[in-house]
Amino acid sequence: MRDQVKRFRSGELRALGEIAPRAIKIALAIAAAALALAIVAATFDEQGPRRFFFSYLVNYAFYLSISLGALIFVALQHASRAGWSVTVRRLNEILAANMPLLAVLFLPVAISLFLPRWCPFSWADAERAAGSELIAHKRVYLNVPFFLIRAGVYLGLWAWMARFFLSRSVRQDESGDPELTLQMERFSGPAIVLFGFSVTFASFDWLMSLEPEWFSSIYGVYYFSGAAVGSLAAVILLAIALQSGGRLTESITVEHYHDLGKLLLAFVVFWGYIAFSQYMLIWYANIPEETTWYLARQTPAWLWASLALLLGHLLIPLVGMISRQAKRRKAILGFWAAWLLAFHWLDMHYLAMPSLSNARFPLGLVDLGLLVGLGGLYVAGAIRVAQAASLVPARDPRLGEAISFENV
Amino acid sequence: MADNVPQLDSSAGALKVAAAIGRFASAGALKAAAEAVRDEGYRHWDAHSPYPIHGIERSMGIRPTVLPWLVFGAGLTGAAVAILLQWWTNAVDYPFLISGKPLFSLPANIPVAFELVILFSALAAFAGALLLSRLPQFHHPVFASEEFRRATCDGFFISIEASDPEFDEVKTTGLLEALGAESVELCRLPAAAPRLPRAFYTAAALAVCLALLPPLGVAWYRAAPKRQPRIHPLHDMAFQPKYKAQAASDLFADGRAMRPPVAGTVARGELDEDPRRATGKDEAGNYVTSIPLAPGAAIDKAMILRGKDRFRIYCAPCHGLAGGMPEGAAGEDAEKWQGMVSIRAARRAAGGEGTWTPPRVLTSAYVQDQPDGKLFETISRGVVNQEVRTMPGYAVQIPREDRWAIVLYLRALGRSQNASAGEVPPPVREASVSEEP
Repeated sequence: MRDQVKRFRSGELRALGEIAPRAIKIALAIAAAALALAIVAATFDEQGPRRFFFSYLVNYAFYLSISLGALIFVALQHASRAGWSVTVRRLNEILAANMPLLAVLFLPVAISLFLPRWCPFSWADAERAAGSELIAHKRVYLNVPFFLIRAGVYLGLWAWMARFFLSRSVRQDESGDPELTLQMERFSGPAIVLFGFSVTFASFDWLMSLEPEWFSSIYGVYYFSGAAVGSLAAVILLAIALQSGGRLTESITVEHYHDLGKLLLAFVVFWGYIAFSQYMLIWYANIPEETTWYLARQTPAWLWASLALLLGHLLIPLVGMISRQAKRRKAILGFWAAWLLAFHWLDMHYLAMPSLSNARFPLGLVDLGLLVGLGGLYVAGAIRVAQAASLVPARDPRLGEAISFENV
Repeated sequence: MADNVPQLDSSAGALKVAAAIGRFASAGALKAAAEAVRDEGYRHWDAHSPYPIHGIERSMGIRPTVLPWLVFGAGLTGAAVAILLQWWTNAVDYPFLISGKPLFSLPANIPVAFELVILFSALAAFAGALLLSRLPQFHHPVFASEEFRRATCDGFFISIEASDPEFDEVKTTGLLEALGAESVELCRLPAAAPRLPRAFYTAAALAVCLALLPPLGVAWYRAAPKRQPRIHPLHDMAFQPKYKAQAASDLFADGRAMRPPVAGTVARGELDEDPRRATGKDEAGNYVTSIPLAPGAAIDKAMILRGKDRFRIYCAPCHGLAGGMPEGAAGEDAEKWQGMVSIRAARRAAGGEGTWTPPRVLTSAYVQDQPDGKLFETISRGVVNQEVRTMPGYAVQIPREDRWAIVLYLRALGRSQNASAGEVPPPVREASVSEEP
């Protein structure tokens, strides 16, 4: 084990190195082109700016979920004092520490609140909210100032927590001080509690309030379960990409892919469990004020999206990933990770878009442009964070355990 | 410590070599030796170490277990059993219609299916792991060796059993020595398998008989006629300190537990300030021909909609949403016009179960020609036809004002089925004409 660690430390696999600046430039160039395309496409769209803001919200929720899933992954590894995950933990720390960028990217959502006609949130538009007694009753919570304060609290909290983990972990790369690990372990419990509350309310605010008269208390868990699927899939793809570029080739082994795959499969089932829990209670009670949400998603235009999620987000990957080999072969696992990331995006689309129109399934250049555009910014931000750190917590006390780890 | 070592009773007969064991210095040496033993073609052998050694299964050449497939099969079986059980009990064996919900619907059955998948899988994993490992095993040749106790402390062992076709006392011990074993030992067991003492079987048979007594006692007690009342394990649930409807009570002079209202009092909201509204009849005892309104009330759209709402809840289950099949619709599928209760009862009656009098068609002249007061009385008190109750009274369920609203809605229904073309508002008439093919 000691030999492995020594050989590993002498290797070149520690940081992104000289490719980072060029990668950032390319990502930003792609982002600029794609965002321009999205804006141009939106001006030609019949639903215009509102369409743009809706699509922005979908893609923002998508990239945010990857960072949130990475953040809770880091906290969970510390809370459970996991040894196996040390070599993939830094990738998650970096994705989570992308939070300041996501806070900046929240600005268009915040700005939309002051453009009532274009705003995705109908409660923020006096015209659309007029006459709804329920929205009037919810004014105490659903008003613009309080909404913005809450958003600031969530994003600040997440950025602070992500910073907490990354900065200590990076400091340990230099000092090797095990006390830093203990600090992170002590913080991980409270961090999970804070995360649970903040993600629940953030999903209420940013997605559930698109239907201000509808409510589902499980909504936060639903968003979290999707976020876990999205971030695990993203980390698997990231590890494959880095390894094909010659990095992390010794630290991330087939055993780590196997465990990431197991977690991914578990969260696929968890997502199905939560989605069905929400569906069954509403279906069974059959109360009009609750069924509206599913009614909109069962119109002919959206029914196929609902069924696609049932099959593509649950049943097909469940069968496809259940075998041990599916999780141990990089190509197969990478396929399922990409598959699930795509369906996670569809899930975000499915959460938000029917509020714009349930007569048709909106999918066009606006969505594609924003997906690629925000993706470019997100990747550039993540590379910027990664520049300052090695890709593995090189002196973590459990690194040896992680490298020699084997699934029995 | 030494007294705990199983001492073999040499009087039991001749001892026979049952296994050869070799002790190795380290996990690495054990792995290397295991690879060599594997390559020699031995099958009945095992490696023993104080802690799990990663990769030892590859060194030993152990094939992947079939356990996952057993668990997978058990999970599928669990899902199938759950779905079939719920389908058979709810949709086939004892169909029971609740609130018009379908008899078999997948979403409602998923939770049970989910739980049974987990139950079957967990049981299959547990039992499968035991069976595939041939557990429980009460004895093994290696237990004959005192040195083998070090396998739980600092010893790394390979044991090769004599049942292996390749086993040969000289060759096998030679192999273990050649592989670098620090010590090699032959484990001997009595040639005849040791037998359990007879007392063990007696005790087991006795325990089984004793265990059967409580269920037998319960079954006997439940089946046999008794002079004493039955035993009630949950006494306060079987005998609750309350009076049931129509029960007797010694407390009151009239012997009734249910108390009539005190003479001269009226419950809140029950005061009949206008007897016509309460009974549907005027002072002379004739049915009123128009709806007697409360002071300040008016016949308006809200009242019709209220009547429609109540009609759909209380009346439509038997009479149908449109009040029954009108004569003009003769030849159509009758069930399309009937209420859920009526459909089911008619089907059962057709199959020889019970009797069913079809409800009146509410849009027919028979009903529509009745005065308002008569309709109100029918809703309130129900119908008894030739000493058979064919419709229950709804005075208890539906407040008085709502019953009058239903009367109003019945008139609207009557108009809807018997209207002439001239009565239809022009926009509706044009719309319905343009829809004609």
